[in-house]
Amino acid sequence: MLSRVADNLYWLGRYLARAENTARLISVHSHLLLDLPRGMTLGWSPLVDILGANHAFESLYADDSEAQVVRFLITDPENGSSIAASVGHAREILRTVRDSTPRDAWEQINALHLFLQEKGEKHLPRAHRQAGLDRVIDGILLLRGMLAANMTHDVGYHFLQVGLSLEQADMTTRIVDVRTVDLIRARTAEELRPFVQIQWMSVLRSLMAYQAYRRHEKIRVSGPAVLRFLLQNRDFPRSVMFCLNHIGRTLPNLPHNRASERSIDRIRALIQDANFERLLDQGLHEWIDEIQVGIGAVHESLAKSYFQVDSGTAPTQRQVAYS
Amino acid sequence: MAIDWSQYRCKDYYDELMAAPGQPRPAAQHLVHYLGSLTPEELAERRLAAELAIKVMGITFTVYSEGRNVDRSWPFDIIPRTLPKTEWNKTEAGLQQRVRALNLFIQDIYGPQKIVKDKIFPAELLAESVNFRPQCVGIRPRHGVWAHICGSDLVRDLDGTLYVLEDNLRVPSGVSYMVENRQVTKRVFPELFQTGAILPVDDYPAQLYDMLAAMSPRPGDTPSIALLTPGIYNSAYFEHSWLAQQMGIELVEGQDLFVGDDNCVYMRTVYGPKRVDVIYRRVDDLFLDPEAFRPDSILGVPGLMRAWIAGKVALVNAPGAGVADDKVVYAFVPKMIRYYLGEEPILPNVPSYLCMDEHDRSYVLDHLDQLVVKPANESGGYGMLIGPRATKKERDKFRELIVANPRNYMAQPTLALSTAPTLADGSIEPRHLDLRPFILSRGDSTYVTTGGLTRVAMTKGSLVVNSSQGGGAKDTWIVDLEAA
Repeated sequence: MLSRVADNLYWLGRYLARAENTARLISVHSHLLLDLPRGMTLGWSPLVDILGANHAFESLYADDSEAQVVRFLITDPENGSSIAASVGHAREILRTVRDSTPRDAWEQINALHLFLQEKGEKHLPRAHRQAGLDRVIDGILLLRGMLAANMTHDVGYHFLQVGLSLEQADMTTRIVDVRTVDLIRARTAEELRPFVQIQWMSVLRSLMAYQAYRRHEKIRVSGPAVLRFLLQNRDFPRSVMFCLNHIGRTLPNLPHNRASERSIDRIRALIQDANFERLLDQGLHEWIDEIQVGIGAVHESLAKSYFQVDSGTAPTQRQVAYS
Repeated sequence: MAIDWSQYRCKDYYDELMAAPGQPRPAAQHLVHYLGSLTPEELAERRLAAELAIKVMGITFTVYSEGRNVDRSWPFDIIPRTLPKTEWNKTEAGLQQRVRALNLFIQDIYGPQKIVKDKIFPAELLAESVNFRPQCVGIRPRHGVWAHICGSDLVRDLDGTLYVLEDNLRVPSGVSYMVENRQVTKRVFPELFQTGAILPVDDYPAQLYDMLAAMSPRPGDTPSIALLTPGIYNSAYFEHSWLAQQMGIELVEGQDLFVGDDNCVYMRTVYGPKRVDVIYRRVDDLFLDPEAFRPDSILGVPGLMRAWIAGKVALVNAPGAGVADDKVVYAFVPKMIRYYLGEEPILPNVPSYLCMDEHDRSYVLDHLDQLVVKPANESGGYGMLIGPRATKKERDKFRELIVANPRNYMAQPTLALSTAPTLADGSIEPRHLDLRPFILSRGDSTYVTTGGLTRVAMTKGSLVVNSSQGGGAKDTWIVDLEAA
């Protein structure tokens, strides 16, 4: 497996997970705003915060109105992590790895790309937004299904899976981070207390986790329980622990994986030891920062071990691989 | 109304399928009768089925248009072109003979240059050749093969003679379409293949793999082979990925390879560096190695020439093989065959006038309205003048070009290119075509594809068959009449 191809498949996973999560986030936020009382408005800027794109946003747009933010997140080609840009990146990648991915996957991503290019703009207004986002979410899930069912589950497939899981872990922590900051702010105002519950529910819904949470936790929605579920649960596919465990189970299929395994173990230990009651009172944001740094370290160790192979000197006999 | 072959116009040109209106040639008899039995609706249905198959199979080519690269579906005409096996046997022998002579020529040019000393080949031609690579002087690649893969273009004139129009020795493309055309035709007309008279074409990737493996500098081991592509924006990227897939070899870009301090070439893999023995490169000479050629090239691999000269890696085709892929050098191929092989050429060249020759040049300048003028080193049909169809302004422009740089131009009479029945707007009409067989040289043996890629000018009267300029393709059938 060429390093470039492995790198591409890893990023294919990341872009697909990013586009899908962004679509869900916008969808849930649109719904949440309908339930909030007049005067208590979260606005749209938290979504830009979640994706860490404030800098790009401010350089492109004058204000953070709904129309501007939605365009920025869905169709704007200038925003490197907009849904259209992520799908576009995924499409370019599938073009270059055509020889190691099934043919139907290329046709599927191509159709989704053309949809966003031709009809994305029309689906920005509220009346049509949900239909457009559904198309994106369904399209990506279909593509993931095609890859899982039709692609050889070889080393390349493992890199795709690692990319999907790492991006999901990243998105889940980002959503928890920004949403929790909103909630903490809201808690100070006594009259907004009834709406806190709605917001915690929206956190779960952004991650398709509400139903699973109810089944699993069997208690009403509360801050610490939601955090426990989204970070520590071992069975829910969008929880951070699930994603890390998935990567942990995949790594043994890859060569020289020690550094990557260590970087995964470090985050797992952090999450296992967390006390969310205490963190919600103080230090949650800083703690999540630590997790994010850990996710960055996983990426670095993958890049170093697999994607960047030094040139110049010939390898020693032991290093030369005959695979 | 079904096709009425008695109304088919084939008087003015040699037609590949029809000897006269209503009278098919022997190799096409079965096909022509079958097509005649279809209703226009059925024919339209088959055409649609072919279009769909091409879309589903993802057979595309890339064109640069309106500032960006776009993937287009492969333009395909469902009516096959037929050739009798008896004629093909002779053509095959002629192509083998030609490529043998061309390889001897290239080896001689980078070696003792006997052909120049014996005054068969003019020294000044060599001095001004843009494809001569001084870096290759003194090299002898494995088995003495330089042009491992050759795509020769054949055309047929009014009297039925098959001429060689040119030999492509650099990075000839189209072979994937030859194989895919057959796949599509089998889907669309399965009933026609039941006689067993149509010879198969799909062993090309296996033949190519065997040839590449035979070039490995480490014979004995299972060789590690890679196809080097310029990347997804190249017009032939579909073919590059197709060939890599068919042969089960790695598809690499320049950035995937590096040359170690032991002069071996390595691929960057997730397991660490992996040595490469043979590189089927689809990158032009000048972009292969920024150390040896264009320093601004990002498509190549620094040090690749060093590795090749050290004999640590095989490059296919060899750098410098293009010296014989020059429309002026082409005119000397019959002489090369006599000189190196002591044989008479089996396949004729199209008569050619070399503008570097004073006598020829004045003839060319006086007959610009009757000749096709070609620059020595362009491919894809670019930069050509088709005299009878050009405006006076275009002819005057070429007059200046020729006078300014005579070495760079040659001219040929306008051939009455042969035609074959082609589906156009629901009816069957003659369209001009050519044929590109591919020849593989291993040193000990030479393989020729069964037929080749038939390219057809889809526009009425047009002679330009290049897919980048509105050309299409047909499946090519070598028909064994004795087997039928």
